[in-house]
Amino acid sequence: MKYVTTINKKKFEIEIDKEGKVLVNGQPRDVDFLPLGRSFYSILMNNLSHEVVVEERDEAIEVLLHGRLYNGQVLDERALLMAQRTGGLPGEGGDASIKSPMPGLIVSVRVEVGETVKAGQTVVILESMKMQNELKSPRDGVVQKVNVGPGQSVEQNKVLVTIGEPAEGGESQG
Amino acid sequence: MHAEQGQKIKKILVANRGEIAVRVIRACRDLGIGSVAVYSDADRAALHVRYADEAIHIGPPPPRESYLLAEKIIAAAKKTGADAIHPGYGFLSERSFFAQMCADEGIIFIGPPPKAIDLMGDKQTARETVKKNGVKVVPGTEPGESDENLLRIAPSFGFPVLIKATAGGGGKGMRAVYREEDLAEALASARREAESAFGNGDVYIEKLLVGARHIEFQILADQHGNTIHLGERECSIQRRHQKLVEESPSVVMDVDLREKMGKMAVAAAESCGYVNAGTIECLVDKDLNYYFLEMNTRLQVEHPVTELVTGVDLVKEQIRIARGRRMGPTESFLHPKGHAIECRINAEDPYNGFIPSTGKISTLLVPTGPGVRVDSGVYSGYEITPYYDSMIAKLICWGEDRGEALLRMRRALEEYTIMGVKHNIPFHQNLMSSFSFMAGKFDTKWVEDHFSMTTYEEDPSEQELETAAIAATLFAHRQRQLASQVVTKGERDTSNWKWVGRWERMHR
Repeated sequence: MKYVTTINKKKFEIEIDKEGKVLVNGQPRDVDFLPLGRSFYSILMNNLSHEVVVEERDEAIEVLLHGRLYNGQVLDERALLMAQRTGGLPGEGGDASIKSPMPGLIVSVRVEVGETVKAGQTVVILESMKMQNELKSPRDGVVQKVNVGPGQSVEQNKVLVTIGEPAEGGESQG
Repeated sequence: MHAEQGQKIKKILVANRGEIAVRVIRACRDLGIGSVAVYSDADRAALHVRYADEAIHIGPPPPRESYLLAEKIIAAAKKTGADAIHPGYGFLSERSFFAQMCADEGIIFIGPPPKAIDLMGDKQTARETVKKNGVKVVPGTEPGESDENLLRIAPSFGFPVLIKATAGGGGKGMRAVYREEDLAEALASARREAESAFGNGDVYIEKLLVGARHIEFQILADQHGNTIHLGERECSIQRRHQKLVEESPSVVMDVDLREKMGKMAVAAAESCGYVNAGTIECLVDKDLNYYFLEMNTRLQVEHPVTELVTGVDLVKEQIRIARGRRMGPTESFLHPKGHAIECRINAEDPYNGFIPSTGKISTLLVPTGPGVRVDSGVYSGYEITPYYDSMIAKLICWGEDRGEALLRMRRALEEYTIMGVKHNIPFHQNLMSSFSFMAGKFDTKWVEDHFSMTTYEEDPSEQELETAAIAATLFAHRQRQLASQVVTKGERDTSNWKWVGRWERMHR
């Protein structure tokens, strides 16, 4: 079986044959992969011993190796073909939404619809875990939607504010 | 009460949750004393409930409806026959009315007398009280002043100044102000935050010492008039006034300074008639001038670093003192043994503004080995809720010297595996690799002003990326194989045992 695996945005073509032998970009690798628990694995590779934790979360794969967390995706040939046909792998672009990272109470909303914001600008203040947390815009753009107001309790992952494309150089909109 | 024999304690109710509740219950176990946990709806599965001998439900998740409800906690103590209450830190630990309620109900409060809490709990009264014993304090205003007066007085200290909540703690309602024109807005936001955190919007202003270190002294005092200190803790590694790393001893301390500051700390504790474990927080400037900041009239989060360099079990001493006995150690500690560092493990994402993270811990592997101690309130499968503090554990490492402690900390941090929620272990790993931290060159502003997650973090090597890719692929491949086996099993439509039975009958 052939896979295209992306780890921290770097792509690897990895093949696992019927006997379980591993090839990376066509080159054979000496890998002994031993499951130790639900998500614990021991890997011996050229005598090097690695303990790894691998878990699937939100359709991505997280790998913890020597105290460092990697994010990745593993696509088999068919999934890759499908992805290519529907216009590339999931990427960026379009509106960015600021979601509540945890349940909490909205203390204030610092922006209004139509306002231009910069990446890193504080958009909403959310109180949770006894702390006031400043939620910031991930990108430059214009506020498209504000779904909450001060004093409102919100669940985890609620879309609070949507940020759209930046306005074109000062043109007025009809 | 003053009889040498003291009072009997057979069962202690722990009016707290998380790692500190577990810590206190462990001391109870060591002493053969029974333990009672209290818990909210959110904490039925929490470790302190599982670990205690008995557990009493006290209400819904918000602290105001459970862990802060003194009446319910007293009722739980009466119901279970607990003869003492340990308040831990936070929650009711520094509320004198609670200590008084315990006394009125004939329950031993494992902490200072209500009067000492009152004197030290109000920061301004605290300053006046310790000044009488010759203790030097940082210049500042009275509480209860109007914004108008504060705006007028504050500039006389010279900027920067620090706004602090009178009822404060843990950095809530605290604002540093660097320019006079920012003062009015900062006052408004500090009052708002203090109001929401403590139900009291009163603030005062203090001169902010630039380049200062936060160094505190651990105090123990018994009911027989003995007061000693157990040396200092360096707590300058902070972010938004929240301590992240503590160590003992401090790199700037020598025996001479320790003796002088220790004497001041003991004098400060004696000024309020202090009994039990407490902490004198001080600011120490670049020229090693030191000022009394405040007293914490309770056990501190960071008490383990003191335990590791003195060999004293502080919770056991607290219980012993509450029983009316003389405390174990009789002299102040001027020569700590070795060096200890503590990293607070918080469910916060260091790559994303330290925003708290909630969710289920899917995998947990706790470090062990020489010189490693973990005080934790969580386990694999535990759900982190948004109701309480984001600190889930403390990792404390001891070494013969600072270098050894630091290397052990690095090793332990790498062993520490927490999956399912974001946490600040990568922050600590970066911190332990930073030259400034290694050299001990930092002040209370250093993390905010100079520390970056990217300075010391090297990109993973090609080899590491490939190993991770192979692991991810083998994992996905295996999941696929397991999934296809499940499908084939389902086709059989009967349990394996029935199937074997039929097969055996057929072949009889």
